[in-house]
Amino acid sequence: MALTQQEFAFVSGLVRREAAIVLETGKEYLVEARLLPLARRTGTPSVSEFVARAQRERALADQIVDALTTNETSWLRDREPFSAFTDIVLPGLMEQRTPMQKLRVWSAACSSGQEPYGLAMLLEETLKSSRQYEILATDISAEMLERAKNGRYSQLEVNRGLPVPMLVKYFQRAGTEWQVNDALRRNITFQKVNLAAPLPPVQPFDVVFLRNVLIYFDLETKRSVLRRIRSLMRPDGWLFLGAAETTIGIDDGFERVVAGRASAYRPRAATTAPVGAMRKG
Amino acid sequence: MVIDDSRAMRLILRRIVTQLGFEVHEAGNGREALDLLESMSEPPQVALIDWNMPEMNGLEFVSAVRSQERFRQITLMMVTTESEHGQIVRALAAGAHEYVIKPFTPDAITEKLALLGLVPSGTLS
Amino acid sequence: MTSPTTDDLQAITEQVWLSYLDPEGINPFLPSEEAPGMPCVIAAVSVTGAWEGHVVMSFSEPASKLAASALMGMEDEEVTRDDIADAVGELVNVIGGNVKSLLPDGSLLSLPHVATIDEGVNKWPAAVEVCHLRGSWQNEPIAISVWTSKSTG
Repeated sequence: MALTQQEFAFVSGLVRREAAIVLETGKEYLVEARLLPLARRTGTPSVSEFVARAQRERALADQIVDALTTNETSWLRDREPFSAFTDIVLPGLMEQRTPMQKLRVWSAACSSGQEPYGLAMLLEETLKSSRQYEILATDISAEMLERAKNGRYSQLEVNRGLPVPMLVKYFQRAGTEWQVNDALRRNITFQKVNLAAPLPPVQPFDVVFLRNVLIYFDLETKRSVLRRIRSLMRPDGWLFLGAAETTIGIDDGFERVVAGRASAYRPRAATTAPVGAMRKG
Repeated sequence: MVIDDSRAMRLILRRIVTQLGFEVHEAGNGREALDLLESMSEPPQVALIDWNMPEMNGLEFVSAVRSQERFRQITLMMVTTESEHGQIVRALAAGAHEYVIKPFTPDAITEKLALLGLVPSGTLS
Repeated sequence: MTSPTTDDLQAITEQVWLSYLDPEGINPFLPSEEAPGMPCVIAAVSVTGAWEGHVVMSFSEPASKLAASALMGMEDEEVTRDDIADAVGELVNVIGGNVKSLLPDGSLLSLPHVATIDEGVNKWPAAVEVCHLRGSWQNEPIAISVWTSKSTG
């Protein structure tokens, strides 16, 4: 049975409030397909009734937000940004920073953790212990962060774009699942962050990955998210967006640069002065 | 080349790689696959290889292919239910390049082929 | 090493369904304690070596047909008995292989074995029949057949 307009309005209002994600009319089928397994799991006869229950039960509303906001589950399948990271960005940073400076990377919408762990693998392989790094992994969903922190992945998940030498090197079997080794986990901090709200104060980052997140936001939110992220980047830092995303026409403070076969975004020189001052702090 | 003793699995794999533009040859075990390789004028770019098969298993096939210089260009990807850490290490030691654990979604195959540079990233959904 | 549990089986089954039988996640396998009817198609793999035993799946006839059509991307009417044997054989092979990964190292997985009960037909999708003996015992028919997975040629 199809969702009524009111039911869809409740769901789209919920994800807009909680995750600043816009669900346009016409996405009803997506909502139904994602919510049907939830309805079945909770023993609710239909998606409509599940939505009705979610209006009274907070826990179910949270499940709806999670079901509709999870996206990227592949590890390193998008070769272009990751090659740019290891072949261009990291060598450059290793020249520009003193060996004692820790490289700081932010995985800004880490979902179930594939991106920060994948970045940690690339950092391990590229830096080879020549210098330290730290990764901040943030997400809006507490459930996703918990999953990411646990670092346990199903067989289906480790099949997705994870080169098998990395699987063998950085994971061990744990029952039906695979567990990320401590060597990767020790450099990652997990934190719940809503990108659409003011960000907590942190040290500036050398590299930010914010892939396939902006597409869900409306223009005004995109603009404010990009502005906030820029304020947390080093003036010569790098921002990677999803292939379908750009800062162009949204935030002039970024400049698009070509990095290998990928596009990256860097703070414009004119806007770097106040941010640069943070380096002394 | 798709090497699996299960016709159902060969069909699933054939469908996935055909969509990616590959021409597919099928073999039901390692022995058949070696015979097929011998008969081909040009070796395939990639072989998707089950492990547990009658006659000659996937691991033996990988070792046999790796021992021959003229097959050096073939990318060997295990596609198998064997999923113990030690088994995967064995397959890599024998010369396999990549490894997909069954069950897999079509994306898993496509993404691994993309990692190997056999499929342009633009093919990914 | 502990033995596989119902939870393990459920995790494995969920992944198999998502991969092959229900990629959209809209017709999941729903565990239930209700007693099943008489199964019609049985598929099994054996594990030998450090651990010995079998992994068996049983299907009603329509369920086996649905599994075959979903796995092989065919219309229901197109599905033949061979398709069913291949499909359920591969399903039990994948599930069995994943169960094996929970067992002690050094266990080996057999090739799948599929039986269709209503016809008394035994079939290993990857095997050939070597010989058979048909007869009856106390007025009940019995068929014994020998199958090998190694080529006899």
